[in-house]
Amino acid sequence: MHDVINHLINTVFGLGWPGWAISLIAYLLIATILFMIVPFQMLFLTYFERRAIARMQDRVGPNRVGPEGIFQPVADGVKMFTKEDIVPDAADKWVHLIGPGIVVAPTMFMFAVLPWGPGMVPFDMNIGLLFFFAISSVSAVGLMASGWASNNKFALLGAMRAVAQMVSYEIPAVLSLLAIVLVTGSLSIVDLITFQSGLFISSSDVPGIPDFGLGWFVFTPVGFLAFIAFFIAALAEGERTPFDIPEADSEIVAGYMTEYSGMKFGLFYLAQYVLNFLLCAITAIIFFGGWQGPGVGWLYAQAITPANPAGNGLFNVLAGVLGVFYFLAKTYFFFFVMVWVRGAYARLRIDQLMDFGWKLLIPLTLVNVVSAAIWVGLTKWGAADGLAFVEGWAPLMRWAVAFVITLVMNLVAYFFLVRVYSQSQDERARLDDEVLERLTNVA
Amino acid sequence: MDIQRGNIIVMDRRRGTLRAGQGLLQGLKVVWDHWVGSFRKNDNFSQIHGTFTIEYPDERMKLPQAYRNMPVLLYDDETGQELCTACYQCARACPPEVIHITQAKDPNTGKMVPASLEFIIEYDACMSCGLCAEACPFDAIKMDHFYELSTDNRMGLMQRKADLNRPVSYYTSIAPDLWDEVKEGAMKKLQGSIKRRPDVIGIAGHLSEKIAARRRQLAAEAAASPPAPVAAAPAAPAGKLSPEEKAAKLAAMRAAKAGGAEPAAEAPAPAAELSPADAKAAKLAAIKAANAAKKAAESPAAEVPAAPLDEKAAKLAAIRAANAAKAAAEAPAAPLDEKAAKLAAIRAANAAKKKSE
Repeated sequence: MHDVINHLINTVFGLGWPGWAISLIAYLLIATILFMIVPFQMLFLTYFERRAIARMQDRVGPNRVGPEGIFQPVADGVKMFTKEDIVPDAADKWVHLIGPGIVVAPTMFMFAVLPWGPGMVPFDMNIGLLFFFAISSVSAVGLMASGWASNNKFALLGAMRAVAQMVSYEIPAVLSLLAIVLVTGSLSIVDLITFQSGLFISSSDVPGIPDFGLGWFVFTPVGFLAFIAFFIAALAEGERTPFDIPEADSEIVAGYMTEYSGMKFGLFYLAQYVLNFLLCAITAIIFFGGWQGPGVGWLYAQAITPANPAGNGLFNVLAGVLGVFYFLAKTYFFFFVMVWVRGAYARLRIDQLMDFGWKLLIPLTLVNVVSAAIWVGLTKWGAADGLAFVEGWAPLMRWAVAFVITLVMNLVAYFFLVRVYSQSQDERARLDDEVLERLTNVA
Repeated sequence: MDIQRGNIIVMDRRRGTLRAGQGLLQGLKVVWDHWVGSFRKNDNFSQIHGTFTIEYPDERMKLPQAYRNMPVLLYDDETGQELCTACYQCARACPPEVIHITQAKDPNTGKMVPASLEFIIEYDACMSCGLCAEACPFDAIKMDHFYELSTDNRMGLMQRKADLNRPVSYYTSIAPDLWDEVKEGAMKKLQGSIKRRPDVIGIAGHLSEKIAARRRQLAAEAAASPPAPVAAAPAAPAGKLSPEEKAAKLAAMRAAKAGGAEPAAEAPAPAAELSPADAKAAKLAAIKAANAAKKAAESPAAEVPAAPLDEKAAKLAAIRAANAAKAAAEAPAAPLDEKAAKLAAIRAANAAKKKSE
């Protein structure tokens, strides 16, 4: 974008504007485009979710407003805007007011490092992944603030639950990403995507693999386990069923949103769906190659890039369109999976949620980090790092050995931990029964 | 799936020994099957995958014949004659007592006719039990399938006869088998009632051409047999009193009786002296009655042959009423008497008014 603006202003019109002005215009444009796309994503996602979940429950879903109900979210938005904004008398007015803003803002920040297509990233930060997750946990502050400021027991309970859940599920999420970061050796999201070219085997692991854009991390044992753990953690972070405990409407009305109405309530909704979109997007990016897919790499190689200034501008557009298509297709697929999971599973209890996070996911992701270290050692290290015996092996051989070892490690860890976990759960259930018997004198 | 009563059905839930995480995947599979199946519409409720939704304003469920919502009245398509004979069986059977019937009278003889003059059902309180339709010996009241009854008017659910009338052909369209069962008897009974209905009484009010046809038919019949002794409408025999006259007479008698019986009635009453207000009221009533009668006489009477008769009758009634009132006023009247006299006067005035109209 910067280059295009620069070309347009300084070369075509010859105005000779300074670099900072060009950058300012470029970033403002990008931000504007993103802020226009984001609410529409949210609108579409709500519609998509309602239709999909209705189908799963043998219903039809909203289909009255516009063709097949496509304007239903617009109608909902109009409703939200025209609703009265009620602030409870006993609420902390200012905190109550800025709470939704604090929740929404981080989700918007997260778009700054999200690559949409080849060369289409608003800002390629070298610590993009860290930025993404660091910013995402800021919204917990907003949740807590709005829940507390509402001066309502349900809101406070919901906020407490939300924060507890977010804090405990950040750990497995970040640990599973740590395994990937170990493998790639970079925190830049763009690097993560470029690493995933190839065909089932990353061409960065084994040079000479044909580039079909399918060298996704999910095809490795380390990546697969990390993907499962990360997606579960993402469900919990996005407060999706079965982890929608903070806003469990059958228990605590609407959680931290209880005392909000009108557009403030709408902002929470916006934040939630945008966060879900982002989590689906980051899952697609980290484990499923983001915009990587058959054809994008080849198209982008012909395009104008810093590495290839003599390319053809048409290929920029083609690669962009195809890349964005792949990226959005994967993202929406994961959103569909979220809806699917919501349709299938019941809500967890808060203690079950904590048990699952701390007793199963965190050990599993810790084992996965060790597996990732072994993977890196076997595929990348040499005599200089103290692994002289792998020097002589062919790259494919090294990859295969790493694959088998990490697969065995992860499988053993998975089955062992699941057994331990289920035993502990059985024990807990037995104890609960015992307590119940003692209290009620009914066997 | 055909489930017999008392049979035990063992559902195969494909649940073997579950390995870690397998139950979760099975749950996902179930939901997936439903999602895939939901793009097909189900024909019946034994299918478990697929939508059942009937998109109501666009499409409607086919209702079973015996479905019942609100009662309606039937009339015959050909003659327009209502099946109802105002026998009050439905009104008696109605648990919330929302059926109100007025039976029609022959205007000439004053006798009851097997037809309803007005038939009101308060739909708002009706509980759709269908007991009225069960009770009806003439199959005149039937349960309708129409259910979109909402209204923004409080009285919008008080259905009069004009709102309740439905042709038999409508009922056969919604419940053909049920009508076939009772058709013969109902039509036979209808023929019987038609014979006892004079003039156009019993024909659904909105069927003006049917009413006209019936009138023509009656005229033709009358022309065919000129010395019709039964049709004595224009010239009532002097010996017979018209219903209005009768009513006036009755009122006068009642008033007189009240006046006469007054000493007996007032005996237990502590205050036996005549209050000037009572006497005034009685006089006023008498004057009013007289005025009404006068007015009736003055008004341009529409029915030329009937006018003199009415006038006479009304005058007579008024005079009688006035007399009675006077008598009551002259005697030491208790409030009771005064009331009775007033009532009589009002009745007489009403009768006169009605006649003049």
